[in-house]
Amino acid sequence: MLEGALLIRRQRVPLGLWGATYAAGLVFGLALAALILVRLGVPAPALWQEFVVQTFLTSQGLGQTVTAMIPLVLVGLGTALAMRVQFWNIGIEGQLWLGAMAATWVSLHDIGPAALRLPLMLALSMLAGAFWIALPLALKLLWGVSEVISTLLLGSIAFFWVQHQLFGAWRDTATGFPTSPTLDAVERLPLLGWGQVHAGLWLALGAVALAALVIGVTRLGFYARAVGENRRAARAAGLPVLLIVCSFVLGAGALCGLAGAVIVTGTEFRLSQSIGAGYLFSGIVIAYLARSNPLAVLVVSFLLGGLYTAGGVLKVFYGISEAMVLLVQGVVLLSVLAAQLFADFRVETRRAA
Amino acid sequence: MTPKPKTPIARPGAHPASGRAPALLLRGIDKSFDGHRALQGASFRLGWGEVHALVGENGAGKSTIMNVATAVYAADAGEVIVDGRDVPLRGPADAMAAGLGMVHQHFRLVGSFTVAENVALALRGAGNNVTLPEAARLLSDRADELGFRLDAGARIDELSIAERQRAEILKVLLLGAGILILDEPTAVLTAEEARALLTLVRALAREGHAVVLITHKLREVAAYSDRITVMRQGRTVLDAAPSEGLDMGEVARLAVGEMPPTPPRVTARPGAPLLRIAGLSARRADGSPALDGLALDLAEGEVLGIAGVGGNGQSELVDLLSGLRRPDAGTIRLGPHDLVGASPARRRAEGLRVIPADRFDSAMAPGLTLAENLALTGVSSGRFGSRWLLDRARMRREAERLIAANEGRGGGPGTKAALLSGGNAQKLLLAREVSSDARLLVAHSPSRGLDLRATQAVHQAIADGVARGMACLLISEDLEEIMSLSSRVCAINNGRLSAPMPVAEVTPERLGALLVGHA
Ligand SMILES: Nc1ncnc2c1ncn2[C@@H]1O[C@H](COP(=O)(O)OP(=O)(O)OP(=O)(O)O)[C@@H](O)[C@H]1O
Ligand SMILES: [Mg+2]
Repeated sequence: MLEGALLIRRQRVPLGLWGATYAAGLVFGLALAALILVRLGVPAPALWQEFVVQTFLTSQGLGQTVTAMIPLVLVGLGTALAMRVQFWNIGIEGQLWLGAMAATWVSLHDIGPAALRLPLMLALSMLAGAFWIALPLALKLLWGVSEVISTLLLGSIAFFWVQHQLFGAWRDTATGFPTSPTLDAVERLPLLGWGQVHAGLWLALGAVALAALVIGVTRLGFYARAVGENRRAARAAGLPVLLIVCSFVLGAGALCGLAGAVIVTGTEFRLSQSIGAGYLFSGIVIAYLARSNPLAVLVVSFLLGGLYTAGGVLKVFYGISEAMVLLVQGVVLLSVLAAQLFADFRVETRRAA
Repeated sequence: MTPKPKTPIARPGAHPASGRAPALLLRGIDKSFDGHRALQGASFRLGWGEVHALVGENGAGKSTIMNVATAVYAADAGEVIVDGRDVPLRGPADAMAAGLGMVHQHFRLVGSFTVAENVALALRGAGNNVTLPEAARLLSDRADELGFRLDAGARIDELSIAERQRAEILKVLLLGAGILILDEPTAVLTAEEARALLTLVRALAREGHAVVLITHKLREVAAYSDRITVMRQGRTVLDAAPSEGLDMGEVARLAVGEMPPTPPRVTARPGAPLLRIAGLSARRADGSPALDGLALDLAEGEVLGIAGVGGNGQSELVDLLSGLRRPDAGTIRLGPHDLVGASPARRRAEGLRVIPADRFDSAMAPGLTLAENLALTGVSSGRFGSRWLLDRARMRREAERLIAANEGRGGGPGTKAALLSGGNAQKLLLAREVSSDARLLVAHSPSRGLDLRATQAVHQAIADGVARGMACLLISEDLEEIMSLSSRVCAINNGRLSAPMPVAEVTPERLGALLVGHA
């Protein structure tokens, strides 16, 4: 008879085991999700078709998944960078909104020559995102205010600000809806000729490559690791802790701001109240599952993009409610997260004699 | 389930009855952690009414075998027999019920509770629904019996380490422990406190309890124990009684291998004045003064020992010197420079090096590899790559060199620092800090928790540095350590420093008076 179990932390996690637990968690979660969907009346063969073939194996489906992945990579990376220096950025959506607003502002006022408009929108969105995270960062550094609260609250403030603009000065007079007017052609990220996939892909991949390089081979990346592992030891060793923390946290804000601009200029072509929803959740899940590793952020974002794409299909073609789609996605993510336990710990059972 | 008795005090047999089964018998114990074999057929035999010392080098498996005995870990193989009964223990609660109580090196007390509340919590957890006044009475009765005082109404975090330890021991006794296991109980105590504890332990043995004393201090072993078990690399290599004419030198050799022939001695050749501290004051978080107008002078090539009971301002002094904290008042001059406003980086550049009491608090990162930890302070000088790029191959080679130079065991450059034994980690930390450009070393309890050999290696590293002209401020609770390395000694008490005296004039009595005095 099983009398109980002990969890023993593994001294190191073999790479193969790590991959295997992820895969097992994913398979388990997907099976559970399939069970739920079949009970909801989705025919079982269609599941394979929608979840796997249509999201990953056809060119069109893959294109949709990659499009969904682009902003996910940026917010995931942003969260991961901040996590590396022990800064818990719960204000991802706030920085994203600020970035989206900055891009929209440039477009509305037609600032700069047309050829430079798009780069300007992107650059300004990064500045805006960095600015929005600089406030809680300053509060934390000066007075020890917990960034968990301050970034979260600033996220709400940013959303109210967006609403204020959309219901006021920025409302599209052509339609009367609370959205900004659509962007001009020069203000959009060029399409790559593969479904909706746009040049934001290069930005996302570039950001991943840059982050991987910084973390992997530079002095700054090494210092950041030391700060994340033991800040007091890093300070005592004479490392420029303030500089490291600021550069990583501001970089994180900039990436989240860029994500906002990429959504506006790449897929939506206008600012609306719904473009930022869900990115807080996604960003944290991605950074956590990827263990703050930039390359893993890319992989996890890709899979999550597929999950979201499939969710859209379920909603539209099978009449599954939004709530059920969220439930199914939650089941899959929870399984993957829970499976990590088996990578980190060995389970030792005790049996009665 | 059988109902628990109302009074928890299950007394062991009143006398060390001969012919009775041993209190604790461990045989052929194997235990691996992730393929690392911590115990290989280890054994241990404890009789009633005896104080049994368990010694051995860092990582020998002393804590592990006792964790197996108290069913914190399940052994891979072997048997645990308590008082002759071969009943399987399935967890710490079973072990407690069988009369086994362990006091771990890190106490398991709730800091914001009073002593009585902690005891009541533990008793209730064991199924004995005592009220708070009952718990307080049990406590003071038992303390009276054992001949010491403990305020049952005092909050744990207001107590000194020694008092907390007594509270923990009383808690375990009140839970009905006939067999008491103390894991390095004297490591955090001053000589005076240690003596009191060991006297208490002897009294418990006279009552008929069986006591296991894990320790690195062979002097205690010789004076206070009835039997000695030596462990080495997961095996039991000796079980004997000092009364049977056991040679303690032989025990030391068995425990830690061949020792260097002579313990390090510092020959002080004080040179130019180097460090001058004046009027240094700082407050704790609660506003009470931690340091109160502290002043001292230290010359090159000299070791100044600061003796004192922990918690009298030592940690604050170390943080003020390393630059992790700013003083409220005072000056710290190193050579011509005032360091009070200087960053830790500036201080390091001036040759200041620090070994804190807890290396993973402010010296090393447990999650980084050895190579990374060893390079942590050197990267900024450009030794491991350019301003932008890091040369990991260089870091690796340097780590290999340092590990080899310190006959390092237990890990290579890629091993996480957390996995190293305390002694090995400390030796590497010293190798990093006591480099040729170190001018002042601040060392806080540098040998705490280390075995004899590691302690000697650490002392040797300090002595070597001092011989090169480095100054050392040695802050320690261990009087023996202070006396063997320092040329002058002061006592710290309540954030104040006594006037230094030459080591030749120091007697335990004189120093003892300074440590507790309110001068
Ligand atoms: N929970 C654990 N997980 C993995 N390895 C462990 C664990 N506990 C102990 N070890 C390893 O087992 C060996 C024995 O450790 P143990 O703590 O018993 O040594 P010890 O004799 O008590 O040493 P010390 O004098 O330093 O306290 C060491 O190599 C240690 O690294
Ligand atoms: Mg131990």
